[in-house]
Amino acid sequence: MKEIIFHGRGGQGAVLAAQALASAAVFEDKYAMAFPHFGAERRGAPVAAFARIAEGRILTKAHIYEPDYVIVLDPWLAGLVDVAKGMEGHEGTSGGVPMGSVKTDICQGLNREGAAVLNTARRPDEVRLSLEVCVGTVDATTIALETLGHPATNSCMLGAFAKTTEEVSIGSIEKGIMDVFGERLGEGIAERNVKAAKLGFERTEVGMCSGGREFPAQKKWLPDVDELPPGCVIRSQDTEYGKLGPGSTVQNETGSWRTFHPIVDDEKCTYCMLCWFHCPDGCIGRVPDKESVSVDYFYCKGCGICSEVCPVDAITMVREVEG
Amino acid sequence: MRLKLKDLPEENIFSSGHTACAGCGAAMAIRNIAKVLGKEIIIYVPASCLSVFNGLFPSCAWTVPYHHTVFENTGAAISGLSRAMKRKGLDNVTVVGIAGDGGTADIGLQALSGAAERNEDVIYICYDNEAYMNTGVQRSGATPHGASTTTTPVGKLTKGKQDFKKDIPLIMMAHSVPYVATASVSFPLDLINKVKKAKETKGFRYLQVYAPCVPGWGYEQSKTVELGKLAVECGMWFLLECENGRLKINREPKMNNLETYLKMQGRFRHMDEKQIAELQESIERKWEFYKGYAELTQRLYGGSEASV
Ligand SMILES: Cc1ncc(C[n+]2csc(CCOP(=O)(O)OP(=O)(O)O)c2C)c(N)n1
Ligand code: SF4
Ligand SMILES: [Mg+2]
Repeated sequence: MKEIIFHGRGGQGAVLAAQALASAAVFEDKYAMAFPHFGAERRGAPVAAFARIAEGRILTKAHIYEPDYVIVLDPWLAGLVDVAKGMEGHEGTSGGVPMGSVKTDICQGLNREGAAVLNTARRPDEVRLSLEVCVGTVDATTIALETLGHPATNSCMLGAFAKTTEEVSIGSIEKGIMDVFGERLGEGIAERNVKAAKLGFERTEVGMCSGGREFPAQKKWLPDVDELPPGCVIRSQDTEYGKLGPGSTVQNETGSWRTFHPIVDDEKCTYCMLCWFHCPDGCIGRVPDKESVSVDYFYCKGCGICSEVCPVDAITMVREVEG
Repeated sequence: MRLKLKDLPEENIFSSGHTACAGCGAAMAIRNIAKVLGKEIIIYVPASCLSVFNGLFPSCAWTVPYHHTVFENTGAAISGLSRAMKRKGLDNVTVVGIAGDGGTADIGLQALSGAAERNEDVIYICYDNEAYMNTGVQRSGATPHGASTTTTPVGKLTKGKQDFKKDIPLIMMAHSVPYVATASVSFPLDLINKVKKAKETKGFRYLQVYAPCVPGWGYEQSKTVELGKLAVECGMWFLLECENGRLKINREPKMNNLETYLKMQGRFRHMDEKQIAELQESIERKWEFYKGYAELTQRLYGGSEASV
């Protein structure tokens, strides 16, 4: 049996990809299952989905803790999250990656004989994870933008998975996508996703990454009943677990969610403050001296609303590059 | 004095780093509403997207006291909080409940109606994203006709929601409370001035804010503001204000472009000419109703400007 974890962000289609992979395996007369990680994650926040593929019946119904393969749909997650963690020996995570900027190991639990399939513009030997493992890399965001017009990298990464692992053929992946995406999103969209998968398959490079990248353990506040304050009333405070209570979301680096970022042209800006008002994340700051605005990239999720509402086109959205 | 954008403070009452989807209309509404309300407030939020993206215990985006209990309770919880503040002599503190449309139109309606009928001294804000979004898009009473949701899917026999949007602002006007208003994230000055007026009024105040939802409605995430504008233009949402029984229409809709509005969203993409015509007819009837209602209440309660 092979166990696969998909790491992605809400909206990239990790769950649909897991289902399409399971469907692809079934087209090859294998047994398969797919299921999401249930949580309160919104679009853009890190999410996980799971799939199992086997020659015989699958009796395990639990979460996957020691994956054979991890597929990372988002280019930033492999840096934020240790995809290789636990490939040797292991203490698993549930696969659910915390929100905001929290750094975890996407290799957690990964079987050393397995592989990590990554959405990145880098070559395999330019990738550094916590473990030295086989990786397949492909610039899936570019392919998705080309074929679909938005960065839903799920189908492309299925092509990359077929190339890297040879667990299922690209032909079956295409059938799986037509089956699952076709039913949910219509045939036209499914066909474009098949195209993305094929390009993913063609452009994937397979090799070994380097290991040794460190992901400092994140301490989590897990009070027992006696430690909880009465009525769960909590004040704003700095603790070894980070900030807690009122105002504590300021420590979440939601800027890691984006694919595009805004650039402001101070010359054009008329200081009308529409972007300042309409930014859902409070990323736009007023700069009275310059009579212009600034962007706080720590929080900017790249929604592009500022650029849309600007009456004088002073804000342009620019594709994020891997630094 | 009408507020302008420059009058709002730079400092956030609702912090950044919250985890709403990129482009979320609700987040846009709430962080600005909070700036108008200021620091002397207590916020209550029932189960909803907001209760999740404003941080799950022990994380919290609010920098003011924030209280959370169950889904159906907003009206009751804010009544209790408001009375407790009065008892403690904290008359300067405004108690504000912020709930979704599901929490308002459906499950919380009884507690809301009770609080309004007792004219509790609170502000109740409903951010209307027209479905139960937190749990993955189920239809609510406030979901418009034709919209597909997971519980009103597009099938062979029926396509999308068959019933029409429940008019909660009108239900609230029927409670004869001091202030009922509708607003939209796409009309900043209208929105902030209604919040200001609500804050300066005593007794029960109700504000329903139209807040587009990217995944629930299925549109390009940068189009939140444009969609909100189109909604008011085509009559899918009206900007109204009812003070002590007297209704005023703040913006006259053009009653056109319904199709443009619908086609921008995945939830309406299946709608055929017949369904669109039905919807158009229903919003035209609603518009006639509100025009008549404004004229009538102006006559009954006095005042001059019937519209705009
Ligand atoms: C009594 C009860 N029933 C159901 C739920 C599950 N639940 C949590 S949030 C939610 C949807 C809220 O919808 P709405 O009020 O419209 O807010 P939105 O999520 O759309 O912002 C539901 C059904 C609950 N928490 N409590
Ligand atoms: S699901 Fe909709 S309302 Fe909820 S956080 Fe996302 S955009 Fe906002
Ligand atoms: Mg809702």
